[in-house]
Amino acid sequence: MEIAYIGEWTWAATIGRFLIALAFASSVVSVISFLTQSLTLGKRAYRLHAISTFSAIALIFILFGFHRYEFQYIWKHLNDDMPMRFIFSAFWGGQEGGFLLWMFWHNVLGLVLLRNPSNWTPHVMAVLAAIEVFLTSMLLGIYFGDFQLGLDPFLLLREAPSNMGLPWSLRADYLTAFPMFQDGQGLNPLLQNYWMTIHPPTLFLGFASTSIPFAYAIAGLANRSDQSWMKPALRWSFFGVGILGTGILMGGAWAYEALSFGGFWAWDPVENSSLVPWIVLVAAAHLLLINRNRKHPTALFSTYYFPLLSFLLVLYSTFLTKSGVLGDTSVHSFVDSGILSQLLVYVLSFVALAHVMLMRKGVWRNGVLFACVLLTIVALKGWPVEAVSLFLICMAVAGIRSYLKDIARSPEEESLWSRDFWMFVGALLLLVSAMHITWQTSLPVFNRFLEPWSGALAHWGEQWNSSFLLDLSKHNLAPGTNFDQTYHLVQIPLAVLIMLIMGFAQWLRYKQSPIQKVLKSLFIPLLISGLLTGVLIFFFPYEWHEMPRVALLFAALFSIASNGNYILHLGRGHWKRIGSPLAHVGFGLVLFGAVISTSQKQIISQNQIGDISSLNEELNNREDLLIMEGDTLPLGPYFISYREKVTEGIHVKFQMDYFAKDAKSYEPKDVVYFDGMVFEAHEAHTASSYFSDDMEDHWMFIPFPNARQAVNAANWKSGVPGEKLFTLEPRIQLNEQMGNAPEPDTRHWLHKDLYTHIKWGRVTPPETDEDGWMGGRTHVVHVGDSMLVGRTLLTVDSLRVIRDEERLDRGLLPKDLAIVACIRLDDRDHRETHEPLYIVRDSLIIPDLYEASTFGVQMRIESFDPVAENLELTVWEHESVRRDFVVMQAAIFPLINLLWLGCLLMALGSFLAVRSRWVRDKSSVK
Amino acid sequence: MKKTHIISLLLVASLVGTFIATFTSTSRSVGFVEAEKLEGAECKISGVLVREEPVIYDPKIDPTMTVFHMEDAFGIIRQVRLKKAKPTGLENSESIDLYGTMESGEFHATDMLMKCPSKYNENNHVLLSDDVESNS
Repeated sequence: MEIAYIGEWTWAATIGRFLIALAFASSVVSVISFLTQSLTLGKRAYRLHAISTFSAIALIFILFGFHRYEFQYIWKHLNDDMPMRFIFSAFWGGQEGGFLLWMFWHNVLGLVLLRNPSNWTPHVMAVLAAIEVFLTSMLLGIYFGDFQLGLDPFLLLREAPSNMGLPWSLRADYLTAFPMFQDGQGLNPLLQNYWMTIHPPTLFLGFASTSIPFAYAIAGLANRSDQSWMKPALRWSFFGVGILGTGILMGGAWAYEALSFGGFWAWDPVENSSLVPWIVLVAAAHLLLINRNRKHPTALFSTYYFPLLSFLLVLYSTFLTKSGVLGDTSVHSFVDSGILSQLLVYVLSFVALAHVMLMRKGVWRNGVLFACVLLTIVALKGWPVEAVSLFLICMAVAGIRSYLKDIARSPEEESLWSRDFWMFVGALLLLVSAMHITWQTSLPVFNRFLEPWSGALAHWGEQWNSSFLLDLSKHNLAPGTNFDQTYHLVQIPLAVLIMLIMGFAQWLRYKQSPIQKVLKSLFIPLLISGLLTGVLIFFFPYEWHEMPRVALLFAALFSIASNGNYILHLGRGHWKRIGSPLAHVGFGLVLFGAVISTSQKQIISQNQIGDISSLNEELNNREDLLIMEGDTLPLGPYFISYREKVTEGIHVKFQMDYFAKDAKSYEPKDVVYFDGMVFEAHEAHTASSYFSDDMEDHWMFIPFPNARQAVNAANWKSGVPGEKLFTLEPRIQLNEQMGNAPEPDTRHWLHKDLYTHIKWGRVTPPETDEDGWMGGRTHVVHVGDSMLVGRTLLTVDSLRVIRDEERLDRGLLPKDLAIVACIRLDDRDHRETHEPLYIVRDSLIIPDLYEASTFGVQMRIESFDPVAENLELTVWEHESVRRDFVVMQAAIFPLINLLWLGCLLMALGSFLAVRSRWVRDKSSVK
Repeated sequence: MKKTHIISLLLVASLVGTFIATFTSTSRSVGFVEAEKLEGAECKISGVLVREEPVIYDPKIDPTMTVFHMEDAFGIIRQVRLKKAKPTGLENSESIDLYGTMESGEFHATDMLMKCPSKYNENNHVLLSDDVESNS
């Protein structure tokens, strides 16, 4: 029976699904027609595909605009409170929207290619359309039994598998009957910011642009006698390098500005998996540069393989991040949405396409094709992991076979002093870097591959007594958390070499160069970078074991100086020439800024409550500062004050005022505490930053302070708060869906950033009992110990047995045993001694709840150990005396703006390079 | 291209070398019992928060120390000392991944990732349906 649902835009779902189906069908038609050389039909089908994709996207925006919550995608990502400016973020907030965004850019690029036809068009468009076939299939949402093909963006809530058949979904008036459906869940507040509006489109345009060099390489392999595919592939590679690089760094900027990662790069699997295709694309572009004009190409296999690999790595990245296979190794947690196998088929199909195309027609190629078919059957029969392992081995064989036999090799030897040779070496280094990052990121994937072999590995491991194999057989690899060991150990040396080559090879010519002249041009950059590195070592405290980092800083400076010099000498007035050196300067600046700002990140917050630090040996209070509302504490070169807490919308803002640090001057006879010891000044002086610098010249240690000294002694200070400089508002975002999330606030200067964020802050009222008491933690204390209870400092002065004359006042029986604890309470205005009791009557403990009302403190002695002379003391604090406090961290990132400047220059340089190549290639065709 | 061959071989060799070198720095995901045997070596333990035991975080004593109990995949419960401020949402977490070392019966975690219940989870549809049913 068909139910006529009231108020539901059922028609929109129908139209939407029709558009997706049409897009899918037309992309299939387009592939077939381009392959069979029916160009006109192919173009029409592709345009139809593009139009239906754009229409589907437009329809979803309309549904967002009208708040149609009967659609699952809208209900999940929008609610009535969300400002409409976040409609874009909401659109690509889910997987379906992500695929649509990718398809959008892909189609835009495809249409651009169609407007500039060449004899490569049929093959290139066939590959692009084939990619679209797979992408569109991700949105079909068709079920074959339990197998789900794609996620339908137009799915109605009542049609979701988990809701189907439930009573409410059968009521025609369900939309009006239940308040649930009048409002959506809304986008995760973490994603409601402008970064989410600009970062995904840039990144996806970058991803989409890697498919064009891929398509050209496939086309080039289909027609191997013609090398002219390299020129358009090169242009698009540089385009992709510029866009994808910007997209990645935008993600870093987002992490730095809005998320509390404590930096802009965390080697997170999701970040890595977008970086790796970029690195390989950079390498591919340089190999294309070597060969585009050559009659006898060199390193031809790599010139084909790198552009292929770059796109395959984009697919692999999609697989890693969208399939849920990364599990919980990433903070960007992605849930398995049930399309893992479909994504895997997508990746592996193109891996197969690339490797089969690398081989010439013949027995080997047919063999590999046959093996692929066979392995598909094996996979379907229920051995997917084994099949994929064998498939990958098969692909490796295909690659090696093609390298040895199927791709022409150049007989001539490259000159050592040629740009070609060093660009090739640089490309290989980039590949090694990319492979290493992929290796580290793929550990969760390796576990899946190791699992079926675990029995065999354990067996061999025992037989050969190999702990390595036994280790592998447990398939429990997890990424290490020490980045120096897992990433920097390999990446820094590679980066040093790459930077040096970048600075040096820019001056070489293709084929052969006069090496004397080149060395002469390198002299000044070497001198400058050497001097600057010296200055850096002088200003920043680098340790000996950080030599590799310093070497990288030097190499980056050298490459910046050398490429800068190149621009001055050869690029002046020639816009066409400065693209590449400018991009190189930019890349050098990015690495320089990244290395110096992270390795010299200076955490200036330290826990300042000295009174309790001596109590707790395990106190790791180097990085975080606990600050009470209204208090002013020294913080590196500033003083900081926690003014107040303000709730604005979904944010709780903590207003932190920064004050200048003015010099503190000490007079003779002034007495201070430092590190538990008492000192007296023997002359007037101004305090320096560290007490140890002053101690010898200005202070005298007082082992036995007299009464005056004991009373007057105050903690030593390096300065006093001066004028107010600025206010930062780190905040906590109230986020019901994902848990409250801290967001930092950063003060920017040209040469440094001051970054603050809240590690812990209270956003809800504390838990109290009905009388307003809170806390109730039990501590073991010795005589002489002290602790902070709210604003009160509690000190156990002494213990004594009760005197007989006190018994009556205290309401004790003569036979009672009682211990009196003399507990001193101090706050700003009062100092009192209180005496709670520990009472034993007939071997029963009589609990004595003691209240010090002026301080708002309540306490009870739970037990007394006469041997160890300690007490178990439970302490409560009354909410009326509670002061709010936060635990915060503040850090200075020096010279971080060089990183962003580098990013801009890199993007600018890439686009200049694309533009000048475009103009040149156009004119050479005419 | 002889030179490039030599360079490629050198690179491949260094690549394999570094992979093996960095392989030793990867941690292993284990349970508490196995971590005890690895005493001192970094490992990863996944599990769930034991809600019956209190989560102790007293920033006034140490703002970078959170103490709680976790049950690993094998049902073993141990006390965990996390050297960080209490992560928001710890009490509501669905699962926890800890990185650190086992020291005298306690797990000293230097890093922690957790999964919080997300409304993007498919399960919530069922939940929602239950709510609706009870309404009607």
